[in-house]
Amino acid sequence: MTHTELLEKLQAKHRITESKEDLGVLNAAVGAGAFKSVIKTLKEELGYTQLNFVTAIDWPANNNIEVIYRLYNYDTNSDAVIRVKLDRTKPEIATISDIFSTANWHERETAEMFGITFLGHPDPNRLILPDGVIAPLRKDYKDAAMIPLPKA
Amino acid sequence: MTIKAPFELEKISSDEYILNMGPQHPSTHGVLRIILKLDGETVRDIYPDIGYIHSSVEKICENRKYEMITPFTDRLDYLSAVNYNLAYVMAVEKLLGVQVPERAEYMRVMLAELNRIMSHLMWFAAYGMDMGALTPIIYAFREREEIIDIMEGMTGGRMIHHALRIGGFKYDLQKDFMERLKKFLSHIDDRVDEYEALLINNIIFTARTKGMGILPKDMAINYGVTGPSLRGSDCAYDLRRNAPYSIYPKFDFKVCTGRNGDTWDRSKVRMDEIRESARILRQAMDGIPSGDIMAKVPRIIKPAPGEYYSKVECARGEFGAYIVSDGTEKPYRIKFRSPSFSNLSVIREITIGTKIADVIAIMGSLDLVIPEIDR
Repeated sequence: MTHTELLEKLQAKHRITESKEDLGVLNAAVGAGAFKSVIKTLKEELGYTQLNFVTAIDWPANNNIEVIYRLYNYDTNSDAVIRVKLDRTKPEIATISDIFSTANWHERETAEMFGITFLGHPDPNRLILPDGVIAPLRKDYKDAAMIPLPKA
Repeated sequence: MTIKAPFELEKISSDEYILNMGPQHPSTHGVLRIILKLDGETVRDIYPDIGYIHSSVEKICENRKYEMITPFTDRLDYLSAVNYNLAYVMAVEKLLGVQVPERAEYMRVMLAELNRIMSHLMWFAAYGMDMGALTPIIYAFREREEIIDIMEGMTGGRMIHHALRIGGFKYDLQKDFMERLKKFLSHIDDRVDEYEALLINNIIFTARTKGMGILPKDMAINYGVTGPSLRGSDCAYDLRRNAPYSIYPKFDFKVCTGRNGDTWDRSKVRMDEIRESARILRQAMDGIPSGDIMAKVPRIIKPAPGEYYSKVECARGEFGAYIVSDGTEKPYRIKFRSPSFSNLSVIREITIGTKIADVIAIMGSLDLVIPEIDR
């Protein structure tokens, strides 16, 4: 299945705000309200049974954070990327750990690394970072250890 | 750490108690902490706590130039470093549009497969120790040492090689590489038979592992489990076959699978994979062409804005490097998808109800490497 066919199938059911092809992979931007049903359709109807990862990208210039969901279909060897833009000041998004169990840990990691709240998450504890380190993967994160030592 | 979920201290009945395992525990092969809720010896609940050696590799990489990042990928997994290099350099090459010479591709596959054997041997050695058999480590390290010597001659590093460069290799194979590899391949199959007789088919080992920690296929895929742990559950998904990269389509090899998805099947799959890797190595030795080992790569690496996710089948499963470029010398965002991270997350499903000694057996069969979980 090519990315255009996939896009048509998704567009028949859902509202895709924008989409592009990036080196052969469909990148579809979806609103925060509709993304969950898009992922459900991909998994249950189109055979995208593996969630590779969940991550985010911080774009301070546009004042938003993009959450990235990457899915893979083993049988047709095709990927699909779903991107959801969130407000940078108060990023909140629904959890998909009820659709993909693996999302549980990936969302916990993304939450603490970017300061995103995953609403309805079954276990919203910190996973990797100790308490007190807030959103280190945001572009404006500052830490004393990141300042280069002066040259002798 | 405050334990809020899935169990709280008030919810513990008078028969149950909490046991802390790790982060310094010999069976975790690194710094992994596991909190167990036990009733006698029976596991009622299990909660892994990771992140003890988190070094924020992703943030470090955002502040480095592209060519400076390759050595960091070695350090994610000190047992099969070349596979991790490969995922990263392939992503950058794809973004740059660089075509790697065929000889370099052959060399990459050879080193990657040597690393896979090395990693599976290390697993075999350590898993024997976990199960109380102290002999396998002596046997497996004999063969592993041969590979380490070959890799050392080739790259200068014994476990952390920094073998690959963006675009190919810096140095060609050393003069006696083929000779030493041939010598190694001449006896590896016999040695794997020996290992299987020694541990995998051993009656004590089978009694402890068969039917233990059964991981159904659907659950495995739902939890993002990949690699030998997934193939043990009768699921022939291997990225070398399903999403071919480098020159894997040229080689004839079998995707090894287990039947029941139990701890024994996962063990057997790894032993079979050593044989298949040896087969790939023999074919690569015969087919390797002469020629360039380095593609024309610009001196200053500045990929066009865009993004790419490249994934490889490493010894533990799918490792991927997701790179977002904004057209500068440094990546805007880099994400490493590590196989052990997802593989470990399934542990709660497959250990509840077993005995505490079986937790070690099940955890060992997932072949965890902690630096790549914590990153």
